[in-house]
Amino acid sequence: MEKVEIIAEIKELVTELIDDSTIVVTEDSALVGSNGIIDSLNLVELCVRLEDRASEVGFEFEWTSELAMSKSRGVFRSISNLGNEFYNQMIDKK
Amino acid sequence: MIIVTGASRGLGNAICNFLIKKNIEVYGIARNVEHLDFPASACDITKPEEIKAIAKKLKSEGKKITGLINTAGVAAMNLAILTPSEVAKKIVETNLLGTIYCSQIFAPLMIRNKDGFIVNFSTIAVALGLKGESIYVASKAGIEAFTRVFAREVGDFNINVNCIAPGPIETDLIQGISDKIINNIMNQQLIRKKYTTETVCDLIDLFMDPKSKSITGEVINIGGV
Repeated sequence: MEKVEIIAEIKELVTELIDDSTIVVTEDSALVGSNGIIDSLNLVELCVRLEDRASEVGFEFEWTSELAMSKSRGVFRSISNLGNEFYNQMIDKK
Repeated sequence: MIIVTGASRGLGNAICNFLIKKNIEVYGIARNVEHLDFPASACDITKPEEIKAIAKKLKSEGKKITGLINTAGVAAMNLAILTPSEVAKKIVETNLLGTIYCSQIFAPLMIRNKDGFIVNFSTIAVALGLKGESIYVASKAGIEAFTRVFAREVGDFNINVNCIAPGPIETDLIQGISDKIINNIMNQQLIRKKYTTETVCDLIDLFMDPKSKSITGEVINIGGV
């Protein structure tokens, strides 16, 4: 699974979860913070879905890491950041 | 399936047996599970990686988790200034962090089903501010606060989180505590009565009942304060 595919999948997932056609979801869309396009309910849902997706491709996705929580490098700063983290964990753990 | 921590003895074991009698599938977690005659795993709840391994196992087995009952804990009655720092750390790690770790690791298994309940355990000593239990009470007060806020965080997923705060109940936890102290605590309850594990099981039964779905983020002090 390539990084671009993962990011595209996350974009699609986020679009489905927010269910609001007026919001344009891009790779740079923030998931948390004042510009976040997703609420906490859907953020948890997104994490659970990514955990399931990770199981399908054979690794355990860890979203409660210190890196995920870091303000400056937080994986939820954007969809591409989250995609990168998912990809990196997949490469490291497989 | 309902997960019960602290399943090897005391309240946790009584709750497991109660659930089994009701034909509910139970999965016990405790440090020592060799003597248990129901499915269980040995686990130190202060170690998230051990809890994660159990969550992974249950998920891979396709178990549908409907509830989590966090009874695992340690009691300590001592003045704070006489308590070694290592003991204080152990109390907070087991009671508070253990409850937090289990909740955050097992909750996603219920979030997937959009249904479930979590019952945490505090103590009536929090409401009564009992002298000689400051560190224990601090760890349990943390559980009460965690219960209230976590209930909000998972409420949208139809998961109820409540807390039971018993007074003295006949289990290993209060062995060695004098009758005088126990009576003193009992006399501060609204209903001056020593309750049993059956009372706690009745409350578990209540929280499992769909009719109690409107109750969340609450702390139930057994006997009242």
